[in-house]
Amino acid sequence: MSAGFDDQIGDYVLRMLDGAELAAFEAEVARDPALAGRVATLRGRMQALDDTVVPAPVPSGLWRRIEAQLTPTAHASAANRTPLRQQSWLLAASVVLAAGIGFVAGQQFSKPAQPVVIAVLVSENAMPGAIIEAFANNSVHIVPLEAFEVPAGKVLEVWTKPSEEIGPVSLGRFARPAEIVLDGATLPLPRAGQLYEITLEDAPGSPTGKPTGPILVKGLARSPI
Amino acid sequence: MEHTVSDIRQTISPETLLARIAKAERAALAALFESEAGRLLAIARRIVRRNDLAEEVVQETFVAVWQRAGQFDPARGSARGWLTTMVRNRALNLLRDGGRLEFHDATTLEALSGREQDAVSAFQTLSDSEGLKQCLGQLDEPKRRAVLLTYVVGMSNGEVAERLAVPLGTAKSWIRRGIAALQECLR
Repeated sequence: MSAGFDDQIGDYVLRMLDGAELAAFEAEVARDPALAGRVATLRGRMQALDDTVVPAPVPSGLWRRIEAQLTPTAHASAANRTPLRQQSWLLAASVVLAAGIGFVAGQQFSKPAQPVVIAVLVSENAMPGAIIEAFANNSVHIVPLEAFEVPAGKVLEVWTKPSEEIGPVSLGRFARPAEIVLDGATLPLPRAGQLYEITLEDAPGSPTGKPTGPILVKGLARSPI
Repeated sequence: MEHTVSDIRQTISPETLLARIAKAERAALAALFESEAGRLLAIARRIVRRNDLAEEVVQETFVAVWQRAGQFDPARGSARGWLTTMVRNRALNLLRDGGRLEFHDATTLEALSGREQDAVSAFQTLSDSEGLKQCLGQLDEPKRRAVLLTYVVGMSNGEVAERLAVPLGTAKSWIRRGIAALQECLR
């Protein structure tokens, strides 16, 4: 299945792919564990070069600066989150939904970092289809609640509209409806009321950089209390 | 407290530390920092060429490790390799974003010649028993240099072309053929 992609492993590890080629390769890595394994193998071998460094002296203030950035109550839900991927889809969805409600209601659930905003995206018939948490570092955590059908040659693409002037901006794409963290795009800090949506686009992603496919779910962000 | 950190470091693998970090154990993150920060700083420095930026890369990486340790998948390589990949990606992004890396003229020459030296010395420092060294050794000299300059210090294709005094297309083709031959040899 990945024959053509196999030829691109070296280029990928050397970061010589970009644009559509890169997106298509990464989508295939997400889909094909064997390809992902071969990428990891080459990467691991090349890292022998990185490991030839002589460790540098570590400045005394560096750890303090890191520590100052750690959220004090991080991770309470991390233990819940890891096994989710292995559980059945519906169960995963309901557990996360419960966690989300607990979080919004100010219970002891907390996320690895406090999201700046959370949006529950709903379908045309008003069913919740996905939850998006957007973080200050531009990353977005997406928990699909519906097993969106993704036909061959299509991908799910996540969008937000920080303002009318900026218009819709792609936050990333994913091939299957599974919990995922995307790096997002460098944007102003997300605000309450900001629009988020997921569209179905031709792989490797919208050709125009703006949404072109049907909107599967959309919703407005709110800030956690 | 210092005592605890040292104890953890001596007896516990980075993989286990990551599992503990995923459960929000700060002492585990401190132990991982103590054992890995020096190596990671040096890797970042080879790419970004400045101490302040290398520190920034390592700082961001450890904050990300704190948030994402639960995403580490041992089936995809070692914990140290995972850290190396995170540091490399951040350093290379910083380099590619460009703006902040402009060197003053006085330092340019030194910084750039340092890059070439670093790339070559990484190859020379590899242990002879390391398969990668043998495979790199089998490449023609220009292809080997092209791959090393790209991987070790993160030179762009254009910088490699300039350094090797060949057209951009030639440099790209050397890098691509070089890494393909390496991969075949390592199989």
